[in-house]
Amino acid sequence: MTLTVISVLLALGGLATSIYFVVKDRQAKAVLAKREQDVSRRMYELAILKELGDRIGYSLDVQQIIDIIINSLHQFIDYSAVSYMLLGPEKLIFKMHLERSVHQRFVNDIKDRMLGSLSALLDREFNKKDVKEIISGAIIIEELDEPVRSFFNIPLVIDEKVVGVLTVADTKTGLYKEEEMTILYKIIQQASKAVTSLQGVVKSEQAKVNAMVESMADGVVMTDIDYRIMVVNPSARAIIGLPQKESLTIFDFIDNLEGKFDIRGKLEESVKLNKPFKSEEVLIRDKFYRIFVFPVNATIGGEIDEKNAVGGVVIFHDVTAERAVEQIREQFTSMIVHELRTPLSGINKISELLRAGDPALTKQEVDEYIRMISVNSTSMLDLVNDILDVAKLEAGKFDVKKEPTDIRKVIDNRVEFFKVSANDAKLSLESHYDPELPEQIPLDPSAVKQVLNNLISNALKFTKASGSVALYAVHHKVGGKVSDEFARLGRNVSVALPEDKFVNTPESVIVAVSDTGSGINPAGQKELFNKFKQLDNRAETGIKGTGLGLAIAKGIAEEHGGSIGVVSEIGVGSVFYFVLPLQ
Amino acid sequence: MAMKKVLIVDDDTTFQKTLTEALKPLHCAVISALDGAEGLTLALSEKPDLILLDIKMPRLGGIDFLKQLQKAHGGLQPTPVLITSNLSSAEDISEGVSLGIRGYIVKSDESLDTIVRHAEGLLNPKKTA
Repeated sequence: MTLTVISVLLALGGLATSIYFVVKDRQAKAVLAKREQDVSRRMYELAILKELGDRIGYSLDVQQIIDIIINSLHQFIDYSAVSYMLLGPEKLIFKMHLERSVHQRFVNDIKDRMLGSLSALLDREFNKKDVKEIISGAIIIEELDEPVRSFFNIPLVIDEKVVGVLTVADTKTGLYKEEEMTILYKIIQQASKAVTSLQGVVKSEQAKVNAMVESMADGVVMTDIDYRIMVVNPSARAIIGLPQKESLTIFDFIDNLEGKFDIRGKLEESVKLNKPFKSEEVLIRDKFYRIFVFPVNATIGGEIDEKNAVGGVVIFHDVTAERAVEQIREQFTSMIVHELRTPLSGINKISELLRAGDPALTKQEVDEYIRMISVNSTSMLDLVNDILDVAKLEAGKFDVKKEPTDIRKVIDNRVEFFKVSANDAKLSLESHYDPELPEQIPLDPSAVKQVLNNLISNALKFTKASGSVALYAVHHKVGGKVSDEFARLGRNVSVALPEDKFVNTPESVIVAVSDTGSGINPAGQKELFNKFKQLDNRAETGIKGTGLGLAIAKGIAEEHGGSIGVVSEIGVGSVFYFVLPLQ
Repeated sequence: MAMKKVLIVDDDTTFQKTLTEALKPLHCAVISALDGAEGLTLALSEKPDLILLDIKMPRLGGIDFLKQLQKAHGGLQPTPVLITSNLSSAEDISEGVSLGIRGYIVKSDESLDTIVRHAEGLLNPKKTA
């Protein structure tokens, strides 16, 4: 590609008059030349665009862009010097690259000419003192007193604004023919257009990135290499408790992190070693954070230049919720261990006593020990079964086998089973059925039995003597009001079921276990069906349990395509209900 | 010499029963409570010579039991306390030590015999010293 361009440009070489500043858009005379110009221009445009894309990436630095253009220019055009003059933030930047040695007067002459054209272009006076000068390339030699004989000047326009001028100059005469310079002019114009559109893309991308950073829940802080804060989002401000402060410095972070995290040290380390850093959990103002520090390297052509660090990013990731979950998990595990160890160690101790073979042990005492072994092993077996059920439900391997079943028979069977313990606890235990209940509904009898076991035993445990536990089964129709449906039974549950919960429920049977127990507060109700959570009042009442039963009941109800719920009122009672859809 | 008195505060009835049986050779009176609150009442009224205390109990846990017992005695812990628990968290142990306990046994890891020997050592310090 470059070869083509060079040959074309060489063909265009030859005599040329020096053209001052304005290039008139004249038509090329030779058709052949025109075609070759087009080809070369397109190639150059592509080359420039590729250079821009490759080497500067998303840089918005115009100077850097112009540098790239002039660095590749000598391949195509012959000149003693190429230079540009740019409007800097404070001063004019004048940069000249000498291909060949020249006299100081040559440099000064070009500088004056460029100042003149920039003044004309912008209609503004510039003082020589306002110019910051950078000369590179060949050296200045006083003996070579050759004047400027060829000169070509092109305005640099980006986003419709003149930002500077570009100049090629030579000590030889007759260079820079008009046609040739037309191409160069168009190339620069094209590059300007490309930069302009690139700027547009960069701006919109930046806006997107900014919006994203702004709305991020994680705190984000970006600093340059000297720890000046370049980006700080609202979350980061909130974390250090300075949501309103106008401009933040690294010291605001150092002070407000109160020595809990060495932000500056970690930034320095990360940038120096070019390595990301991840902190342990850090407690900052009642929340836990994991803090990440990344070095930021300059990007060149979409590739990261690892040797060129420009700053660092600090991200504060809130892990308070994760930590709470982790804590609950740990508590759960320790609870399971405790609940398994206690009966196991009990059996172990009994066997130790029996093994010792104390001849004084009476038949009655031995019987008592055997009964205790049975109680302890049963409690362990129940727990192991519960854990296995939970594991099965979690793995989606808890299969319910639905078969047409008379729900009344299942309930009656359970009421019969619990009658003895209800009597022992001086509680009434009854069942009531809706006259409109279907003869048979699809359900897994043993799974539903498991749910009922859990709900009934809970109700009996948490209801004081002379209270009552009652089971209800009601046929719910689409759009039916549950209060009306329960009214058909002639008696009611201790706490009314929430009407709104059943608005979208398909035709189903609702089974409710109602008690007149102590009731559960709203916070406790939410946690009930969570497998890791056990009601704290367990400790108060002294009733043991792992709290897995309700999680399993929920799983079983859901496997039936239904749901489970609770309504409760402190001092009145609780009603646990589950829904079994007919379809 | 009056019979020594041992108080077992533990909600695990099997442990209560087996330990009481195992303590028989020490010829001491064994009284028991199923939770910390009941245990505290007995500790104050019966003035036992040794308390065997569980950590995880309904109503009042072992650590809170110790705090209240110490408070009732004006900051002192006159009765030797041996913790017998299935828990062995570092926090519980260090908190127990700061509250003046004399020993900590993970009951599921030790035989009744070991527990009894520890109890005996605390009941008759001179004999083992």
